[in-house]
This record gives sequence, C-alpha cells and structure tokens, in this order.
Amino acid sequence: MPEPAPPGAKSSITVLVADDNDVAQRLCRRVLEKAGYTVLIAVDGLQAVEVALSQRPAMILMDVAMPGIDGIEAMRRIKTAIPNQPIVIASAHSMASDRERFLAAGADDILSKPFRLADLVAIVAKLTANSGV
Amino acid sequence: MKLFRTGGLVRRVTPILILGAVIAVQAVADLKPVLVFPLYLAVVLLSALYQSRIDSYVAAGLAASALLAPSLLRGDRSGDAVAALLLAAVLIVVVAVVHEVVQRIRQEAVAAERKANEVEASEERLRITVEAAPVGLALIAAGGGWLQVNERLCIILGRSRAELLHMALGDVTAEHDQTAIDEALAMLRSGDILRWEAELHQVRGDGSRVPVEINIAAVSDHPSGELVMLVQETDISNRKRLEGLRDGLVGVRHTILSATTWEQAAPRLLSGLCAHLDWDLAQFWAVDTELQALRLRQAWHRDGRALDEFHNQSRRVSIASGEGLLGRVWKSGVPSSQEDLSNATDYDRAAAAVQAGLRCAVAFPVISAGVVTGVIEMLTHEGRVIENDLVTMLSTAGGEIGQFIRRAETAQALRRSETDHRAIFERSPIGIARVSSEGELLEANPALLLMLEHDFQIMRSHAWPDLLRAYDQAASRGRLAPLLAGITDGKSVQVRAGTGGGNWLWLQLTATSIPDSSGRPEHVLVMVEDVTVVREAQDKLGEALESQRSANATLEKLDRTKTEFLSIVSHEFRTALTGIQGFSELIRDGGLEPDEVRAYGGYIFNDADRVNRLIGDMLDLDRMESGRMSIRTADVDINEVLSDAIARAGSSPTVEFKADLDPRLPIVIGDRDRLIQVVSNLVNNAVKYSPDGGTVTLSSRSEGGFALVSISDTGVGIPPDEIGHVFERFRRVRSGAAQAIPGTGLGLTIVKQIVEMHGGKIWVESAVGHGSAFHFTVPLAADNVSQLQRRHA
Repeated sequence: MPEPAPPGAKSSITVLVADDNDVAQRLCRRVLEKAGYTVLIAVDGLQAVEVALSQRPAMILMDVAMPGIDGIEAMRRIKTAIPNQPIVIASAHSMASDRERFLAAGADDILSKPFRLADLVAIVAKLTANSGV
Repeated sequence: MKLFRTGGLVRRVTPILILGAVIAVQAVADLKPVLVFPLYLAVVLLSALYQSRIDSYVAAGLAASALLAPSLLRGDRSGDAVAALLLAAVLIVVVAVVHEVVQRIRQEAVAAERKANEVEASEERLRITVEAAPVGLALIAAGGGWLQVNERLCIILGRSRAELLHMALGDVTAEHDQTAIDEALAMLRSGDILRWEAELHQVRGDGSRVPVEINIAAVSDHPSGELVMLVQETDISNRKRLEGLRDGLVGVRHTILSATTWEQAAPRLLSGLCAHLDWDLAQFWAVDTELQALRLRQAWHRDGRALDEFHNQSRRVSIASGEGLLGRVWKSGVPSSQEDLSNATDYDRAAAAVQAGLRCAVAFPVISAGVVTGVIEMLTHEGRVIENDLVTMLSTAGGEIGQFIRRAETAQALRRSETDHRAIFERSPIGIARVSSEGELLEANPALLLMLEHDFQIMRSHAWPDLLRAYDQAASRGRLAPLLAGITDGKSVQVRAGTGGGNWLWLQLTATSIPDSSGRPEHVLVMVEDVTVVREAQDKLGEALESQRSANATLEKLDRTKTEFLSIVSHEFRTALTGIQGFSELIRDGGLEPDEVRAYGGYIFNDADRVNRLIGDMLDLDRMESGRMSIRTADVDINEVLSDAIARAGSSPTVEFKADLDPRLPIVIGDRDRLIQVVSNLVNNAVKYSPDGGTVTLSSRSEGGFALVSISDTGVGIPPDEIGHVFERFRRVRSGAAQAIPGTGLGLTIVKQIVEMHGGKIWVESAVGHGSAFHFTVPLAADNVSQLQRRHA
C-alpha cells in the first residue's frame, strides 16, 4: 500500500517493520510514514534479518510469531551482526513472562499489541532519537 | 626194752657168755648134744628175741658149732652126729623164724607208736589252729546254745568265753536277723539242710552291731550222740564298710546320672548314702546366698518319729559360716565329724540330736565350681569312729554332687529355654519351618500348617518344595542367595503361594541357617509371615499412587495445555484486535480521505469477523470436546454436499475444482449442517494452501459400509514434522509458502471432532510442494442406522 512520503526531516530515518500480518503491516506503515519515517516491511524472520543487515534501519519493530524463524531468533541474529541495533519487540504475546523473555533476549523495548498509535510513535521516536536528524 | 637199747654192750655179750658157759659144760662133761640142746635153744631164742639179727645169728652159729663139734672132732658118723646136725639146723631155723616174728612185732609196735604220736600232734595243732583261727569257730547245741567258742569268736562278738557259754547264738544276733537264724537252726535240726550260710548282724557286748558272714554246719557224729552244729563266723565289717563306701559312691553316681533335677535326685541321694554307709539320717543344707546362711532343704531318715522331730528342729535353724559342724564344713570346704554328740560343745543342734538319740554326725561339703553350695550331714544312733576312707569317699561324693547340681541347674535352665523355644515354635502366630540342609521340611509349626491349610505330609511333599522354588526364584530376582545357601542377613523374600483351601497368599519368608558345631549349615529356619493384607494394601496404595500420579500428570498437562491455549487464544485475539484498535483509532482521529476510511473499515470488519469466528470455533470445540454437542441425524446425500461446496467456492479465481463423485453412493445418516461444515472447511483449506492456484479435487465412494470422501489439492503441502499435528488446536502450518495463510487454527480440530462424532475417521496424506489430500469416512445409512441411533440417542 504505497503512501506518499509526508514532508519533514524524519524521512531520512528508516524504520523496519517485521510482521507476517498484513493488517499490522498496513497500520504501522500508515502511522509511521504519517509521522515522517521511511518504513521498510519484512513478512518473516529471515527477511527481517536480511533487510536489517542490508538497509541498516534506525530501528526495527519486530513481531514474534512469524513463519520460518521467529522474531526472537531474527533479533538474536541481527544483534549478533549489529550489536547496537535498536529493536522493539511488538507482540500480541502479552503475558508478564513473555515480556521478561523478550528483554532477556536483548530487546531494547516492548510494544504490546494492540497498541495506542501514540505509543507506537513515541517508542519509535525514542529509539531513533540518536539517529542523525 | 629200753635197757637193751641203751645197754647195747651187755645185751650183745650176755648170750655169748651164756653160750660159752654151756659149751664149756658140754665140753667138760662131754654131754650129748641132745642133752645140751634145750640149753642152746633157750639161749638162741633169747638172742633172737632181744638181739640184733647179726648177734642172734652169731649166737645160733656158735650153738650149732658147739653141737656139731664133738662129732666132727671125733669123726663120728653115728646117729649122734646126725642128731647133732639136725639139732644145729633146728637152732638156725628157730633163730630165723623167731627173728622174723620179732621183727614183725617190733615194726608194728613202732608204727603204732608213731601213729599215736601223730594223732597227739594233730590234735594239738587243731586246738592251736582253732584257737588262733582268723575266723570265729564254735560248736553250738541243737538249740543254739554255745558249747565251745574260739578266741576269735569272742573277739568278734566282744564278749568273754565264759559269758558266751551261758548264751545262745540267737542271743547275740541282731533283732532283724533273729528270724532267719531260728529258721536256719530248725532246718538244720530236721536235716533238711546240712549247711547254712548268711551274712547278718550280731550284737556285740557293748551293744554295737557287727556284720558277720556266718556258716552253720550240722555235725552228727559227736561222741555224745547229740546233734551239734559247727558255727563259723567271719567279721566282715571292714569288707562291708569298704563295700558300703564303694556302693555309696556308685549309688551317688547312679543317682546323679539317672536324675535330671536336684529335687529329683536329693531324696535318692540322701537315702542311698544312709543305706550304703549305714547312717540313720541325712540332711542337705543349701547355702542361701541372700541370707548368707545354710538352710535345710532336703532331709531323709529311717523310720522313727524322733527323727522327724529332729528335722523339724533343723528346719528352724539357719547356720552361719563357721558355726557348728555344718558351719565349719561350709567354711573349710572339707568333711568334718562329731563322733560324740552328747559331749559336743560346738554342735548347732546338740540338744535336738541327743533327744533324738543321735550319737554321731559327719558332714561334707557339696562343692560346685570350687564354691561350697551346700553341706550334707549324716547322723546315726551308734557311736562310730569316722575312718579316713569314709572322709575321702564323702569328699568325692560331695564334689560329684556339686557338679551334678550345677549341671542340673544348667540343664534346667536349658530345658526351660527349650520349653520356651518350643512354646514359641508351637504358639507363634508366625509360621516357622525347620528345613534340612538338603531342603527337606523337617518340622512345621501349627501356625504354618494353618496358614497354608495343609497337613504336615502334604506340606512336606508338595507345598514346601513349591514354596522353596518360589523363594529361590524371588531371591534370584532380588539378587539374594538361595534359601539353602543359608545366610540371608535377615533379608526377606516375598512369594505368592496357594493354600490347601485354594486361596492365594503373599508370604514373606526369612531364612536363617543354623550351623552345627563345625560351622556347616545343619538346618535352616524359615519364618513365614502372611503378608497378603499388607501386600494387597501396598499394591492398592501403589495403584492409587500411580493413578494419582497419572491424574496429576494429566492435570499438569491439562494445566499446561490450558495455559498454552490461553496464550495462543489471547495472541490470536490481540493480533486481530491490533488492526481493529489501530485503524479505528485512525478513523476516530479523523483527517482521512474517504477511501482510506472505507479501506480501514474493511480491515476492521475482517478482523472483527475473525474474532467472531474464533469465538464460535472455540465454543463449538468446547461443546464437542465436553460432549455437550449433539448431532441431529437425518438422511444426507454426501454427493450433494460436495457439489454445493464446489458451487460456493467456484468464485475462486485461481483454483480449479474437479468432482469425482460415485453416483451410486448410498445415503448416509448424519447432521447435514455439520457435514457441510466439514467439507467447506476442508475445501477452504485446500484453496488457502494453494496460493499459486492448482486443482482441488472432491471425490466420494462407498467402501466397507462407509462413504469415503477425499478433498485433495496441488498446493504447498504439509512438512513431515507437522503432518502429525495438523488436527491439533492452533497448529497452523506456517512455514514456507503457507506462512501468510490466515485461519483460526481450530478448523481441522473441529472437523476431526465432527467426523468422529459421526462414527467416522479422518486422515491426511501430503507431500511438500505437491499438495495434500484429506480423507474422511461417514457410515452408510443401510448398515448403520441402529448403530448411529444408539450412539446418539
């Protein structure tokens, strides 16, 4: 769903959204592009690793339950290659134990689905704050 | 005669002188031989009578010569000469004859004299012999009165000869032997017997008794013509005493060998000692270790009330160590005696003894393991000298009695222990078997026989060998030694055993080998306990624990499943809600193009619909799994259901449908709506998992009373590691090409439930990249109406 890039300085900041659910992909892309980011989409874990390593997004919004390798494994691989790559786990797994598990796996932050749009924007803004704006 | 013998010369010369005178007269007077012949004859006769043979022949020769001489000198051959010769011959003959006769007479005289001398000497010797004989000898009258007694008899009877000669045999015979003597004398008088022998007691002058061996012989040829009897008596008191000592010791040994307890032996020992050693009373005094005193424990006496009283007196006394005769013996450990109780200054019961007429006492210790445990005292009415050999004998007896008491006590303790053990064996509620080292059952206690409901014979021949085998098998499983190997260190083995009454028991066997003196297992004791109740309780407990464990596991699994399910469900819901919430927030915030709003509304609707389906599927599944959903049965044409499904799905742009339906397929009995749900679910899956298009084929046919329906596609297929899980909840194939295919993850689970509720089966064949084929069966109506009705009634 191509959207026209909104005007603004943030368009130089790239965010990778890795999610197998096309509704979630659309929503994120719509919200983040509106907020001025460049949004890349990956539909599974392997693609997420591939895009992350080639495109070096400012941050990654990573779903967990994806076909192939899941979000956690994808994050581990990315962090191995780029240790300071900011990654936010955005998952519908919302139990307390899940949260701990994601942080322990190296997530920089957690975004529970469903989320408020403002929360999405805020967390992306926070983790891209150091990016060259 | 004596004259001649002593005056030999005169005797020899006289006849010669007389002859010479006669010869001279003859010669002078020249007398005729006939005339002088009588003179010569007389001289020669005298010579022959009184002179030796040579002398008388010399005289005869001279006389004959004198008679013949004149004739010879004159050469006369007349009748005178012949007469002279005859006369001379007569003289010689006379001498010879006379001499022979004299010789005879003389010899007879000498013999007679010698005989007389011999008789005289013999009588003297006999007298001396009788007097000095070591045996008492006497002659008694037929009535028994003493006629003659020798010195020895006087000594034996302790009486003077004069005293005896006024008495009779019966007077010196002990009272209890008098009848025997009287009877013997009567029999001897009547001639029924010639000789009588006996051993009996005679009474000495001082009143004491002496044992004698008596021999009475009837003597019939006494000069007086009256019947007298020769009595021979030997004092056998020494022999009797020695015999008594010997027999006494033998008696003691015999008694202690044949008795088992001291109580049993004591009366026999005491009476035996008294009988053999000739005492009137004996007492056993035991050392009372608590009182530190001797107390009378056993007593024996010859008949007599006075002796009873003495015992009674004795019973009241306790004697301290060193006190009186008994106390001394106790203290010293050696026998001691009191030979004259009437003068005793240190005798504990002197007054009582004197009152009972007791005069002499001897006591000896009973020594057991070097310790005096009692004292035996013997008393007698007689004054008595205690000989050393008696003391020695009593010491020996005391030692042996002591040993016996100790043995008897040990044996009694052992018997008591044996009795206890026997009682344990007999009355034990636990079965006990005694088994030989070869495994043969030697003994089984009542509890064991009762437990196994067998008699001993059956037990030994059948039940026991079975039990032994069972034991060894169980033992080898438990890595224990076989029963006969003995030592099991008290480890038990449990075996199953049938009883005579047909019951089955669990028996716990514990074997213990009992070694013989050389340490080899002599036999094995086996304790047998009926642990059936315990074992069954254990088994039940084990079963209960096991079922508890499995219930727990099920619960845990259920819990895990529930948690997992919740996690999955919440994930599904939150995923659907992400779109709903996000897009509705966008719409709410406004500022959207109408197209955007329409598109977002579509997303929201789809996700809401998905949540709704999820909830519906979950409720369906829950109802089916909990058995709360029933199916409405009616005639269903499977081919029609399949055709409808193709018609509904026909709008799919990429997938081609094919139908391969058996037109003769019978009607099935089932819930039409549910069967439509099954088919549409499978068809939707086939379409969904054929993202690049392909062919979906629906087929039906009849097979073995079932309608077999297959829905196959040419889609992505199911990886082998997931094919086993496709009917599980939320097991969606997400790998590879199937990753983006949406679904609730409950569809196949529900399909499987519905098929199975119809009494059918569902399965899947698949190959990755080539597609999948789902097959299910539903029972045909004709064969299965009743079955279906029953199942779903």
